[in-house]
Amino acid sequence: MLKIIDLHARIGEKEILRGINLEINPGEVHAIMGPNGSGKSTLAAVLAGREMFTVTQGKVLYMGQDLLAMAPEERARMGVFLGFQYPVEIPGLSNVNFMKAAVNEHRKYKNLPALSAAEFLKLMREKMAIVGMDTSFGNRGVNVGFSGGEKKRNEIFQMAMLEPTLAFLDETDSGLDVDALRVVAQGVNKLKTKENSFVVITHYQRLLDYIVPDIVHVLYKGQIIKTSGKELALEVEENGYDHLISAL
Amino acid sequence: MKEYTYLPEVRQAFRCSVPNAGIRQVFMVDGLLQEPSGMENGWELMPGKDGKGLIMTVRGDHFSSPVQIISVRSENMPHPVEFTNEWILAPGARMQLIVCDHTIKEYLYRTIRNTIISLGDGAQLDILFMQNEHKESSYKLEVNASLGEEALLDCHIISLYGGTISNTVNAIMEKPGARCNLDGLYLADGTQSIEYNVDVKHLSGNCSSNQLFKGVLDNRARASFRGTILVAKDSQKTEAFQANHNLLLTKEAKITTKPQLEIYADDVKCSHGASIGRLDELGLFYLRSRGISLPEAQTLQQMAFVQDVLGKIKTDTIRERLEKMVESRLRGEFSKCSHCTMHCC
Repeated sequence: MLKIIDLHARIGEKEILRGINLEINPGEVHAIMGPNGSGKSTLAAVLAGREMFTVTQGKVLYMGQDLLAMAPEERARMGVFLGFQYPVEIPGLSNVNFMKAAVNEHRKYKNLPALSAAEFLKLMREKMAIVGMDTSFGNRGVNVGFSGGEKKRNEIFQMAMLEPTLAFLDETDSGLDVDALRVVAQGVNKLKTKENSFVVITHYQRLLDYIVPDIVHVLYKGQIIKTSGKELALEVEENGYDHLISAL
Repeated sequence: MKEYTYLPEVRQAFRCSVPNAGIRQVFMVDGLLQEPSGMENGWELMPGKDGKGLIMTVRGDHFSSPVQIISVRSENMPHPVEFTNEWILAPGARMQLIVCDHTIKEYLYRTIRNTIISLGDGAQLDILFMQNEHKESSYKLEVNASLGEEALLDCHIISLYGGTISNTVNAIMEKPGARCNLDGLYLADGTQSIEYNVDVKHLSGNCSSNQLFKGVLDNRARASFRGTILVAKDSQKTEAFQANHNLLLTKEAKITTKPQLEIYADDVKCSHGASIGRLDELGLFYLRSRGISLPEAQTLQQMAFVQDVLGKIKTDTIRERLEKMVESRLRGEFSKCSHCTMHCC
């Protein structure tokens, strides 16, 4: 589904990704761990199309196509989703209108007619239920006045609405209490199928108790320094990154 | 009231469905009232003292049945026109007015529209000015309002389109307990220029005023905002707030904003603030990462920016209609047919 080959990216003069190689197949859950500043969020942002980063080398194939040549909205319509570490507040734009615009753009791309108001509200209620969100959040400004947990639920809700094929969840667990973490993780698990894949970026093993990864990668200084099964996350939790780094 | 027969094509051309069918519409052409004088449902309408403009005197509560003034510049009068509309609300009277200004052709119209508002004690007026002319017109509005005790003025100005627009609003809080909410939205592109001057004078205590003015400027548009709040020496317990926020879509667009406070009393709550910004790059990326195209994301962000000004319009039908008009204006659909005003009403 996704093939990253020798990806290098920088912001300004600073090189952040220094040769990432990664392959993700349908139905897989990958976890990316790594110390602060190792490039985890940058990797997710580059794949979603954030323009502030410049790709200097390497390529990324998504469904056999050149992902990096596509605009962010094209990537999204083809099924790439990024759950933001810091979801953006947009005062004045309601969650309903935001999602209506997004869902209809996706439908247009698939040559489907726009949803009627009633159909849309029904879909929205269904998906809000997945993350235990009150329907009153629909009329509120996007993420405005939401608590940390509500913002993250809103990300998972949006993911549920858009049904992506490949979702990157960037520190979806940060700022969540245990209950919210469980709700968010259960939301992800409900959306998991044999066809779609998830990449969970996290600092903690805790989230991986709920969203069990097939493969765990450790990123350090813009490179993947170790790839293994889910036991790698436990090892990191216990011993930190130092021994992995010193083994380099 | 006798059906007006002169110049029927104006009624034809401005079949207006805002805000709902059956609204009482009053037509003016080149500053001349096109209705016979007379009383109607507790309000009285007559031409102004010099024969131009109009005087409306309101008694009783008419808040739920708004009156719409459709004021058109015709092709018969290409010269500059100046006239004065006067709204007089008796104590306790309530009224809602929608004043729509249009031009029938793309002439170089010059129009000066003076507006005098006198609110008796406890009177309430909600007045909305819709400025929708064309890129060659020059339009000047000057509102002078005086508020009685416990009177309430809600004044909204929506500058949708016009070559040169100048709006001046002077509100005087003469007696205790008066309140006024002044808001405005200006959208300009091309080489349009828009100027706002707002002056609120608190001459009595326990009054409150609220100002919210926002602008979106595209291309090489120019705008200026000058807002003053004056709180006189004995006007204690005054609450006065002013905000002016601007969104510039290009490097060439320009705004000059000058908020001013002059406070001579010592027990007041006042604030003012102004900002100039551009579209938020991270916000746009967030929207695009959900599959929304760049132009659509830009429109959504602009709509979000102006939402709180539109939100000040209390009547749902009018607000919803205006939201659609503002959206189509922001999408650039207006400039394509600016000579035709049919679509806007």
